[in-house]
Amino acid sequence: MPTPTIPAVGSSDLGRTDLPGRDLFSAALAEAFADLPDPATVVDAVYVGSQSERYENQIMYGTLVAEWAGLRNVPAERVEACAAAGALALKNAVRDVRAGVHDAVLACGVEKMTAGGTEGATNALAAAFERALEQRSGITAPSQYALLARRYCHEFDVGEDDLAEIAVKNHRNGAANPRAMFRDEVDVETVLGSDYVAPPLKLFDCAPVTDGAAAVLVTTEEVASDLGAEEDTVEVAGASVAVNNLAVAERDLTYVEGANAAANRAYDQAGIAPGDVDVAEVHDAFTVCEALLAEAVEFAPEGRGVESPLAPAERSEGWTDVRINTSGGLKARGHPIGATGLMQAIEAYEQLTGQAGDRQVEGADTALLVNEGGLADAATAAHVLRVAG
Amino acid sequence: MSENHTQTGPLAREDVDTESPFTLPGFFAAMAEGRLLAGVCTDCGQHLLPPRPACYACGSRAVTIEEQPRTGTVESHTVVYRPPSAFADLAPFPVAVVELDSGARLTGRVDAPTEDVEIGSSVTLAIRDPESEGIDPAAALSYEADWPLHVFEVA
Repeated sequence: MPTPTIPAVGSSDLGRTDLPGRDLFSAALAEAFADLPDPATVVDAVYVGSQSERYENQIMYGTLVAEWAGLRNVPAERVEACAAAGALALKNAVRDVRAGVHDAVLACGVEKMTAGGTEGATNALAAAFERALEQRSGITAPSQYALLARRYCHEFDVGEDDLAEIAVKNHRNGAANPRAMFRDEVDVETVLGSDYVAPPLKLFDCAPVTDGAAAVLVTTEEVASDLGAEEDTVEVAGASVAVNNLAVAERDLTYVEGANAAANRAYDQAGIAPGDVDVAEVHDAFTVCEALLAEAVEFAPEGRGVESPLAPAERSEGWTDVRINTSGGLKARGHPIGATGLMQAIEAYEQLTGQAGDRQVEGADTALLVNEGGLADAATAAHVLRVAG
Repeated sequence: MSENHTQTGPLAREDVDTESPFTLPGFFAAMAEGRLLAGVCTDCGQHLLPPRPACYACGSRAVTIEEQPRTGTVESHTVVYRPPSAFADLAPFPVAVVELDSGARLTGRVDAPTEDVEIGSSVTLAIRDPESEGIDPAAALSYEADWPLHVFEVA
């Protein structure tokens, strides 16, 4: 069975821009193929993560990005599970290479979120939640997560100041990441002093609305070698997707069971345990998510995921030594919805190939990626990446 | 009306119509008459609100329809400060996840001052008309136009 291998990655700038989605993709593709032959001579198929056509009034993104990459008559399709779309594209590419269906697949993601302002993004994101009872009650993305955060704080004696430390840590990491949307550190007083969006969540608990695109090439080892990328490749050792309930009311408010299932299947494929993971990118769309996911993927004991900002030696017993969201996470690196799962893969690629600069975790050889869509783990895609060979 | 329809699954294809309590139009028609319906799994007891043909907890399709109590307790709550467009006139407003006295759970807006809603608060479910609540009727899809809206009131 071929080993899915990542020989090249790229992203656009993340933030607010006048570039539409296809042009953001062009930037990501240009970086990924800077040292490679034309995509038309390499790529057999394309998957593109895209959350919503409401931003640009454009579906058919599979066709569009294939065309903009110079690919003719290839299989290309858009995949969607709200913010998990990017990792679904990666999962499909990994599946195709592993199964021998294709030798080289481009996984990419694009989102042009700022097109309709805050109101446009609020409305587009609300479509990710259950329609009949929850959307019709006026819920929003922050309010859905606030329902989890309120219960988490209640059950585990966690304060808003504890959640704030997650945002502070991720901004500190983002300051060291040239790809990050926010390169400024913030202090806990700034987080706690920001306006409530949906209490207990405040503006600085929430990932930003972001324009951006990402591209990750997944190939067989042979193709990666032919492309001359031996030194700078990583292997995808596990890839799994799991869903949970759509409605917040019908799910466990403090345990993301679907993320646990997806991560454990990815661990099993890779033949590793949670304690083997050196670096992890987990889906901190809201600060509470990082705590919930640290517990669900078995890095942290119940109720103590909120200690993720602490140095490993200072965490409670039962925590692993993993470093979480070294990229700055969704909070500081930015959250271009359909591209986010691939931005997570790019951070893992840079950590595992020793290209993470000032944020490099020494000796990192195994990474976990957890990308979620809908409310928390309504859909989760988990990947294990490790140093090739 | 829905009483004449199949009340326990597995459903046959012809059971799935707009009057069946297992479909959203049937569920909201019952709500408009003052009855809140849930599916209950006859194999594992899981409540399913709104009703649906299969139990997500155990996979059984032997789901039956039961009317629910309209009293319950707040499990979690927040306040929507930045609402979707259709709710702009109502914000800020509290929303809550409520566990009904039967154990079924649903999310809804709470018609109360935000400071009156706490974990453990007792609430009752009211059934209202969306337009008279101040929600933009243009946001409703064609088939939703006559659906009532559930709202919680602090007991």
